[in-house]
Amino acid sequence: MLEFIWQEALKFYSIIKFLLPAVPTTLKITVVSFLLAILLGTFICILRLSVINFISKIALWYANVIRGIPLLVLIFFIYFGLGKFLHLAQYPAAILAIGICYSAYLGEIFRAGIQAIPKEQFDAGRALGMKNFHIMYYIIIPQAIRIILPPLINEFIACLKDSSLVSVIGLRDLTRAGREYYSREFVVFETWAMVALIYLVLTYLFSKLGLWLEKKYKKEKRER
Amino acid sequence: MIRVEHLTKVYGKKIILDDVGFTIDRGTVLAIIGPSGAGKSTLLRCINGLEKFNSGRIFINGEELTKNNVVEIRKKIGFVFQQFNLFPHMSVLENIVLPQVVVKKIKREKAEDIAYNILSRIGLIDKVDSYPSELSGGEQQRVAIARALALDPEIMLFDEPTSSLDPEMTREVLDLIRKLTTRKITMIIVSHEMGFIYEISNYVMFMDEGRVVEFAPTKTFFLSPKEERTKRFLGKVINISTR
Repeated sequence: MLEFIWQEALKFYSIIKFLLPAVPTTLKITVVSFLLAILLGTFICILRLSVINFISKIALWYANVIRGIPLLVLIFFIYFGLGKFLHLAQYPAAILAIGICYSAYLGEIFRAGIQAIPKEQFDAGRALGMKNFHIMYYIIIPQAIRIILPPLINEFIACLKDSSLVSVIGLRDLTRAGREYYSREFVVFETWAMVALIYLVLTYLFSKLGLWLEKKYKKEKRER
Repeated sequence: MIRVEHLTKVYGKKIILDDVGFTIDRGTVLAIIGPSGAGKSTLLRCINGLEKFNSGRIFINGEELTKNNVVEIRKKIGFVFQQFNLFPHMSVLENIVLPQVVVKKIKREKAEDIAYNILSRIGLIDKVDSYPSELSGGEQQRVAIARALALDPEIMLFDEPTSSLDPEMTREVLDLIRKLTTRKITMIIVSHEMGFIYEISNYVMFMDEGRVVEFAPTKTFFLSPKEERTKRFLGKVINISTR
């Protein structure tokens, strides 16, 4: 009996030992593509808020089109489809696909956050003689961040999980490592259980970090 | 000096301002009264460019208000809102310091000195680190006035500054505005506080349905109004005085 437990523990240990080196890849892809998504999303948000109807429409269409395509298809399209002309390596293709996909969601989240700030706050800034840029920077965005932060953390966690899709184009992330291990050692249940556990731990840690950020931000501003 | 000529604003099919015109000299206190929906607030918002208008011209100290100079002209004009519109994520001090630093490029230390100075004059020095949500309505409005005054405006516009305050708070805000009248700032006040208007203003303008019904020196306006419409309105809002 004791030997059996020992055997099992060893098995799990060797699985985890095999999987852990792939975690940095998963994190790298998640963080870099999410940063790209924030950048693109900000741009989309600015277009969406344009007073020129046509520009706003373009941004809305972008969001609708991207949101209507499964991420897996987007990854295939960018790596294999566009790869015909561009020859993107796996990393840039994966980051581009996830970044574009999430930019559509983030753009809408940013827009909703900014539009949630009362119009009177703009009026107050303008009446004081502030330029639009300064009103945005000092008055609107700091208030909008409070609203944006919780859904942003949600999206980050979803992005972390979705990053598992990049394993299909051969990037050796956590999911890919799991596949390699079970096809070598034939321990299906244990391997996938461990992969799931590692994802769970990661998302748990990030959601904790998110809650801490939210709290910190609120406390600093002493708002109600 | 403020001059408004043939100002007209249409929203959809509704005429908000209908050929409004008046002139006041530097240092004049003008009160605008009238029933709600008369266009008083819209007129005030047009004067500092917060609201667009369809036709007419506005001159501030001789300079015509245009798209290009609106940001510059606003720097001379302080505006006080009915709902205060303080920045909720900033302390009282920061609310007063930020516009000075950003708009007038004043050094931070100097801006803070100015803020402390004004706050102590209006009796709110102990609230310097408070946030707007921790203040009463009257205190918030006084901070909003302080925020505008810190920019050293030549003109102050008040858009129903006491309409969302209870009577006790109304008094503290009116006391503060009264003090300003000694400083030779040109002021336009939209208000329903008839006693206060009678006391501090030099001219009164009565508006109804987007039009100027009557414009007269304050005493003349209250004691011998010319227009029937004015008399009816005054009859409704003033129950005891002037008899």
